[in-house]
Parts: sequence; structure tokens; C-alpha cells
Amino acid sequence: MSRRPSRRAGLLAAGALVIAASGTLSGCGSDDSSSSSSAGPELKVTGAYMPAPSTDTMAAGFFTVTDSGGADTLTSVTSDLSDEVTMHATEDGTMREKESFAVPAEGTLDFASGGNHLMFAKLTHKPEQGEKVSVELHFAKSGTVRISMPVKSATYNPKTGH
Amino acid sequence: MRKKTYAMAALFAAAALTLSACGSGDDSNKPVADVSAEAGSGKAATVLDNPFEKPDLVLTDTTGKKYDLRARTKGRPTLVYFGYTHCPDVCPLTMNNLAVAKKQLPKTEQDKLRVVFVTTDPARDTPAALGTWLKGIDSDFIGLTGDFATIQAGARSLGITIEPTTKDKNGKVVSVHGTQVIAFSPKTDAGYVLYGEGATVDDYTKDLPKIAEGKTP
Repeated sequence: MSRRPSRRAGLLAAGALVIAASGTLSGCGSDDSSSSSSAGPELKVTGAYMPAPSTDTMAAGFFTVTDSGGADTLTSVTSDLSDEVTMHATEDGTMREKESFAVPAEGTLDFASGGNHLMFAKLTHKPEQGEKVSVELHFAKSGTVRISMPVKSATYNPKTGH
Repeated sequence: MRKKTYAMAALFAAAALTLSACGSGDDSNKPVADVSAEAGSGKAATVLDNPFEKPDLVLTDTTGKKYDLRARTKGRPTLVYFGYTHCPDVCPLTMNNLAVAKKQLPKTEQDKLRVVFVTTDPARDTPAALGTWLKGIDSDFIGLTGDFATIQAGARSLGITIEPTTKDKNGKVVSVHGTQVIAFSPKTDAGYVLYGEGATVDDYTKDLPKIAEGKTP
């Protein structure tokens, strides 16, 4: 909690990412109704993408939730692409499914390759690069935020943008 | 002079730290590769002073036949990765990075290269499941499955810690993949270069021509 500068640096980095990716992310902002309460969370979802999966059995999804208000919790995720969307945390190569993820007040929740990821199982079809996948993020306080997740190349790296 | 030595020592210590942290399940949220990226002046490859011996693994390939790693990859540039197919993120990313980089080698070099994916989840990764998954990435890649204890021992000999896929108290599946790709030299058959999770398709594209000849990337 005491490391405010580093969090800000993270936010700046996330901001830079948003700009880099903004061409494809027009549908990603969340206009949520909860902004009237000063203690309520104010969420924005950016940088969403899905690496083109190798098969129709499984795909990953990534995004960043930025909260400029109070804390919230990501409780579940749904999508047209799959009836089984689960949330996972990876630490040192160990992948664990988690029931929920905390969104810290005035902080960020990152789903990034090598760390947290969404897992879509038993896909309705194998999404190709250039497609957009509709994904709903369900939050305890903010309700549902719908995002359009662009399918990128299988080797897409958000740091380089290709 | 002395200062330089210390700096080198510090670098080395940082590199050693990233290695020992693999699979230790501590509470660090950051990927291990970030640390090495900072310490290693932007180079993805870690050239090993003490190369690994190629593990003596005899497993089953995607056609259900016996595959002797040492015999079948002798004298060939070989890349080995330990992962599992129910892994949507790092495992396919790593293999796709290798697939894209491989395709940029001259055809003769492509034919010599062996890319071996060893499952860490043999209970779910049958030869057929591995074959289907790898076909979506590169049909020339070799997928191996077999007895978990054998695979674990092979991984351990390369400094890679893996644990069996288990279910936690809530019935959720917990699986482990390696975080490194080990490159074996066609000249010595030793594992002489190591790549962490942060290695990108560009890193592999740059380095594979050298690895194909057993040179230091």
C-alpha cells in the first residue's frame, strides 16, 4: 500500500497501452451507472485481447480493469464463445482457478499473459485473428461490464503491439 | 576492475535468483521473466556456463510410439519445453513463438530443428490430445507423454520444477507448466541456452539461426 509511485507508474504504463491499442478497442469502455456515489467503484476496462487459439477447446483472454473509485470485486465472466469461462491466477508456472478477483480502490486489476488470465473452454467455434469476442465481466458492485475482445495473433505481445 | 567483477557477480546472482524461484509458489505476483529482463540488459537468452545434459527420457509420442529423446534428437538443434494442453496462456504462446520463429529459418534448417513439448499433465494429455493440440501450432513439433515421475525427473535434471496436476480443496484443478525453453546444441547435445517466459517471437527469430548451428546467441 505504501508504494504509490510504482502504482502510478503502472497506471501510466497501462495508459500508454490503451493509446497504443485504441484503434481496435472502441467498444471497450464501460459507462457505468455507479459513478454518482463517491465511495463507489468507477471502472474502466482497457487493453482487452484474446490470442488466436490453436484449437476450439481452449482460449485465453486478457484485459486491465482500472478503478478510479472505491473497491470492487470481479465475481464471474460470461461470453457467447463459451459456457465455461473461468478465471485463473498463474504464479511461477502454477495455474490456479479462482472464484473472484479483487479490484482495489483507485487501483488496477491486470489480466496479463504470464499472470492472471481468463480461460474459455469448449468454444462454440475457433475464433480467428481479427474477430471480436463479446465478453461480459460481472462485478459485485458495478454490475456487468460488456467488452468487445479483439482476437489477436497467437504470438501477440501487448508490449510491442504485434 | 574490481568494480566490474562485482557488477558481474550481481548480475549473475540476479540470474541465479530467477532460476531458483521457478515453481516455488511464493507470493510474488510478477512473472519471473521480468526480473531477468531487468538484469539481463534486454537479452532473452541466458547462455549457461554449465550446460545441462540432455535428459534420458523415453516417452510416448503423439502417434503412440516410443520416443527416445536422446537417440532421436542426437546431433540436432533441439528446443525442449514442459507444459500441458489445458493451459490457454503461456504454453500455447511459447509454442507459437517457437513455431513462428522456426518458419523464418531456411527450409533445410527447419528440417533439422526438433521442437519437443513434454506434457506435465500426462493424465489428460494423451498422445491423441497432444497431437490435436500441436497440429494447431506446428505439425512438425514433437509431443511427448508418459509416466509423470519420469517426466518430473527429466524436468528436474534441467532445473525445472513441476508438480502433478491436482485438485485443491474446492475441487479446482491446479496445474503446473515449466517457465523455460531449453535449447540443446547440435554440436554437443548439451542444453546450453535457456529462455524464460518473457522471451518473445522476435527473440527466438533472432537466436534460432545461431542455435541451429550450436553457436552462442
